[in-house]
Amino acid sequence: CRAPPAGVPAACGWRGVPGAFPRGDAVSPRRYLLCASGDFVKVYSVATEETLRLMGGHADLVTGIQLNPHNHMQLYSSSLDGSIKLWDFMDGIPIKTFTVGSKLLALYTLAGAEDSVFVVIPKKGERDTFQLVSVKLTKGAGQDLEAQEVSVVLDGVGASPKHIAFGREGEYVVSVKEITLQVYFFKRKLLNRFSLRAVKTKGGDNRFSCVACHPVEDCIATGHADGKIRLWRNFHHKKEYTYSTLHWHHDIVMDLAFSMEGTRLLSGGVESVLVQWHNESAWQKDFLPRLGSPIEYISMSSDGALCCTLHSDNRITIINSNLRFSRSIQGLIKSRDIKTGLVVDPRTKALVLNGEPGHLQFYCLQSDQQLFSLDIVQRQYVHQAGLQQSDLVKVAFSARGTWLATVEEREEVTDPELELKLWFYDEETQSFKLNTRINTPHDNHITDMCFRDMDELEDDSLILVTTGRDCVFKVWVMVEDTDPEAQQRVSWSCDFVGSYHNYQATNCCFSEDGSLLAVSFEETVTVWDSVTWDLKCTFCHPPGNIRNICFGRLTCSKYLIGATDYGFLCCWNLLTCALEWSAHLNVVVLQPDPLSEHIAAVSWLSKESSLFVFKPNEPRPIYIQRNLCKEKILLAAFVPRDEPETTGSEKYLWLRRSQLFFLTDTQELMTLSTKSLEERLTPSSKQLAVEESLPVTPFSLLLGKHRRQESQEEIDLGKLVVHNKHEQASPAVKELLHTPAHVLPSASFLCPIFINSLLISKENKSAEEVADEVDMESEKTEDDSDEERDVTEMEQEDKSHMELLGEMTCKLSKSQEKELRKIRKVDYSWISAF
Amino acid sequence: GPIWSMAANGTGTRLAIGCEDGSVKIFQVVPGGIQFERNLDRRKGRVLCLSWHPSDTHIAAGSIDIFRMIDVTSGQTVQRIMVNHQVQKAKRDCVVWAIALLSGGTVVTADSFGRVQFWDWEQGTLAESHTVSTSAVLSLAVSEKEDSIVVGTSTGATYQLQLLPVKLGGPEKRWVRTKPFQHHSHDVRAVAHSPTALISGGLDAQLVIRPLMEKMQKKGYDAVLRKFTFPHRRLVSCARKARLLLFQFSQHLELWRLGSTEETGKDGEVLPLCRMPEHLVQLKSKGPEHIYSSCVSPCGTWLGYSTASRLHLYRVCCDDDGVSLRKVPKVPKLLPPAYQLQFSADSDRLFVASARGAVHVLQLLEPGGCKHLHTLRPPSGCSEAVYLLAPSADGHWLAAVSGDWAIHTYNLKCFKHHCVVPTYSCAVTALAIHPSTNNLVIAYSDQQLLEFSVPEQQYTAWSRSVQSRGLHRSWLERDSPITHITFNPKNPSHILLHDTYLFCVLDKSLPLPDDSTPLMNQSTLKQLPETARKRQLHAFKICKKFQPLLFMDLLDENCLVVVERPIMDLKTQLPLPVQQKKFGT
Repeated sequence: CRAPPAGVPAACGWRGVPGAFPRGDAVSPRRYLLCASGDFVKVYSVATEETLRLMGGHADLVTGIQLNPHNHMQLYSSSLDGSIKLWDFMDGIPIKTFTVGSKLLALYTLAGAEDSVFVVIPKKGERDTFQLVSVKLTKGAGQDLEAQEVSVVLDGVGASPKHIAFGREGEYVVSVKEITLQVYFFKRKLLNRFSLRAVKTKGGDNRFSCVACHPVEDCIATGHADGKIRLWRNFHHKKEYTYSTLHWHHDIVMDLAFSMEGTRLLSGGVESVLVQWHNESAWQKDFLPRLGSPIEYISMSSDGALCCTLHSDNRITIINSNLRFSRSIQGLIKSRDIKTGLVVDPRTKALVLNGEPGHLQFYCLQSDQQLFSLDIVQRQYVHQAGLQQSDLVKVAFSARGTWLATVEEREEVTDPELELKLWFYDEETQSFKLNTRINTPHDNHITDMCFRDMDELEDDSLILVTTGRDCVFKVWVMVEDTDPEAQQRVSWSCDFVGSYHNYQATNCCFSEDGSLLAVSFEETVTVWDSVTWDLKCTFCHPPGNIRNICFGRLTCSKYLIGATDYGFLCCWNLLTCALEWSAHLNVVVLQPDPLSEHIAAVSWLSKESSLFVFKPNEPRPIYIQRNLCKEKILLAAFVPRDEPETTGSEKYLWLRRSQLFFLTDTQELMTLSTKSLEERLTPSSKQLAVEESLPVTPFSLLLGKHRRQESQEEIDLGKLVVHNKHEQASPAVKELLHTPAHVLPSASFLCPIFINSLLISKENKSAEEVADEVDMESEKTEDDSDEERDVTEMEQEDKSHMELLGEMTCKLSKSQEKELRKIRKVDYSWISAF
Repeated sequence: GPIWSMAANGTGTRLAIGCEDGSVKIFQVVPGGIQFERNLDRRKGRVLCLSWHPSDTHIAAGSIDIFRMIDVTSGQTVQRIMVNHQVQKAKRDCVVWAIALLSGGTVVTADSFGRVQFWDWEQGTLAESHTVSTSAVLSLAVSEKEDSIVVGTSTGATYQLQLLPVKLGGPEKRWVRTKPFQHHSHDVRAVAHSPTALISGGLDAQLVIRPLMEKMQKKGYDAVLRKFTFPHRRLVSCARKARLLLFQFSQHLELWRLGSTEETGKDGEVLPLCRMPEHLVQLKSKGPEHIYSSCVSPCGTWLGYSTASRLHLYRVCCDDDGVSLRKVPKVPKLLPPAYQLQFSADSDRLFVASARGAVHVLQLLEPGGCKHLHTLRPPSGCSEAVYLLAPSADGHWLAAVSGDWAIHTYNLKCFKHHCVVPTYSCAVTALAIHPSTNNLVIAYSDQQLLEFSVPEQQYTAWSRSVQSRGLHRSWLERDSPITHITFNPKNPSHILLHDTYLFCVLDKSLPLPDDSTPLMNQSTLKQLPETARKRQLHAFKICKKFQPLLFMDLLDENCLVVVERPIMDLKTQLPLPVQQKKFGT
């Protein structure tokens, strides 16, 4: 079962507009920052940077959030799933859901418009054409309402929420797209359209990038692709309109925001500098530089005391009104390209990967916070298109985390500039200190690097191996520094250079006891004695280069696993030097669990990623998760748990000691979880609003869980599920709860009713069938048919947590339906779990 | 002391002058001169700029750090305002370079700190301040409706400020800096605001007319930015027979003998010279006055120039070892002196264009003397001066254009007024009389070309056909006027024209182009075969390969002299512009 980890923000998820800072209620002076993140809306405390609430309920990306202009404790949110939700964000409760029907790309509210909001929807029948429509929110009773009255305000608007702004007191609306600016005056029903010159003269690029309106005057500020800001006035005249230009940014202006009085204008772009313009004057401006990464959005609080900038690396910076940095909210920093892979710091159990350019981020999974950022490259980062910068490409920790090896590389095709750095963890300063710097450790790109993992041995047995495209692997060892003036005791130097038939070395890996080193050279895996550096044996599985190798652990340490380019997963026995088994599987990621013998392999086939967990000693996997996600999974890591999880069912035993994390190519971090999403969320984000609170007893917990499961399914299965299912399923439970204890019949009488209520009802079943069907189809595309039998079994177990199957319903054929019915007869076995 | 500023009142009856010593003097404007009226209140500090209130009751006088309001009737200073009051620590003086007094009682100042400030002078309060530039604002002009201001700065940028409503349709209005224009490389010393355009001129010797698009009714020829670098006047004169060129500079004249070659070559080749061009003589004008006009006679023996006060005439003697100039004594003192000088084709007469439509004819006497022969005047009288002259080659006719754009032709045999060419609503930019047919070819500033037969006193048939057909659109949409016209003696149907950017041979025998064919077709014609070329030929043969053309004349049948003036040459002579940091350099 799959769920995004609670508290780990999807790195691509900051796509919605951050809402304004609503003021807290009069009693508590706390303030909140609301932010759309993936399918959720997050509520942060401005004072403590903490995530207070995570409001989930949308089935797709949240595209816009706006405070209810008539009630500042309420929030509207729009999503690609076509619904607008009204939330009480103080309690995290959804109040109402309005279904519009088409994808909603942006949301705007107006104080003047009593009960309507404005959304951007795709125009029917035309691709890539969008229109701004006003949606009348019907005042009906009940939670789920249809919003039917939709009237088009503007046609041909941009899809980005930054392309539309509402003017002073909602008198007009401005939309920009390409080189055209449209102003629509609501009262006069007048539409003015202004076009800029399309040709790029003098390096200028007139395309609009964003728009903002002056809050008290009739002035429109637009940002442009060449970094100019234009201030438009007199735009109610078709001809005598006029604009002035402010120019500081050298590249595209990403967002603009006016202060509450309109005297200040904030602008931001890729320079990661926030610019504050005073009184629309080109000469009075203040800067807040070094914000770390390009600014994507700027938002002002409603009282003007704070503003926040949202950065492209998944970070929110809160800034005082006097343009001082106040605090920043950051989770996983989105890097341009994760080259280091997902590495776990043995000391802090934090995930380590590329962060800011040239930095290594240590990301704490439990608290969703960055522990610290280590500057590896130690050079000023200059934002300029086409400039080649040094960046971190490889990272490795020694077993106890005392040593850190990093490789940095200048992105040049020929003759890369390489540097290998070794860092020692200083207990006193609690940080890594540079110990050795090796220039050009290899003549070509370094492909892999690993330490010899030997927990019990002393420091001086520590060995680092690097493999390079210059066809050699090098062994680095620590040597005592004889120079009395040297500040450190030890330094690193090269001990051995090995090569094999002049093939490029691609991967390296130490066996668990450290006695053997496996190095892959294109098609061949070579195994070396780590003491004498003799070549012991070679393995080969032609055709195809070796993509990944790893040794088995614990009971399986006699096996070596390799994955090849041509889609084979091979397991070699080191004792017999023979191929033990092989499977046809296009493995992208091969990740051994350091605490058990399990190995996770992620395959990428027909546009979906699947997960296989197996033990090297048996060729059939112990766990399969098809259709893990639509994105390509690039990296995975096992993170040891602080304490072994106890509640896992048998299928998840392999997850007991460590947790598996994945990173997709859109830099979304995901994990496998045995619990449903709601269990993992903080109790504040409860789904059901109108239910009375239950006393916390084991029984009520059980009931609560049951109920949550249902609502979860409701969301997951989208339109498939009939909405009254909830009312149908609950009476038994409700009756049970509402009847006073002294009039209840005996427990033996109640038990069957209760158990029946836990069973999945008829409507639900149809959805499950669909789920099964889809899975079967995907299986047939792969050809390892020997697994099919147990796969179906497992999938049955997982279906209650299945997500995102909505679109696939129409593919059923008669024969498949029959097959499904057969399966259904045997699929009640899981009840035994209760 | 020195005069720093000058301003006429709205009706043009009085002139205020600001002096070094801080005094403001009022002069009455009388016909033909000015008359001192009174001194206004004198305070310390030079008066750098002046502005009258539209109702003539007050004068605003800008000075260093302050500006003053002077009541004209009493002559007293009624208000004195420090412009950099809020910048106490400013070490530099704040120079008020330009000032304007609006009818509503607002004073607009432009100062050396780059600010344009709006003051309520009665209260003495600052209403608005706009920092438009980091360098000084030097000039300022207000539109007639007082809703737009243009300022020029020392970086060469001009800015427009507009009075715009704060809220659409609301009564509250505010000045907003709107459009920047960067057309100059140096100080913008003067700006003007016409109802439809901003006009600026500066140290980089360019006059720029920037039309305001929003005031234009349609996109067209009028809505195009215009830049003028060269005066639309003849600055070079050529002695055809002697192969001499006379260059007129502001303070001196240079006489050059042209080189020559015996070789012939193909198109595009540079021929070797057998005689190098020779700088014969440099003649410096006496005194501080600028040279107004100059001319060399076709035989190369006479040379004349005029300044604002008098006319000078020299005789050029070419000996074997050099050239000497001899001043012609007893040149008749004509007042005012010549606006244009022109020698007759046989070099024995000098025509002097003068005020009130008069043309003086001087007889040149050997060996170095002259006498006043006659003065030609239009019969109906004329208030404007003559600025262009064209004598005919046979010495029979003379055409003169006066400032009211009327072209008078005179018969030189009997010194009589001959006829008036029908007036046209545009200025004449060049005219010449054909040597064989005595047709007068006239080029107007709207690019129209007319041919007028002087003996027959009517337009020629060709000219009428041109008028009925109309000229090619791209010909009419050029922005620099024809500055010189000559003729090909070999082929009487050829007219040679040039403006600053192009040289054109107009062949009257060929059909006129229509708007559907390109006007510039020389390069395409070259590639066509002979028969197709014949079909494509039209009257305008245009060559655009020259750098800015100052002068072009036909020396003899197969020799054409062309004078170019590359813009870069001009730019190198300018002072350094204000240093500015440019991003990315």
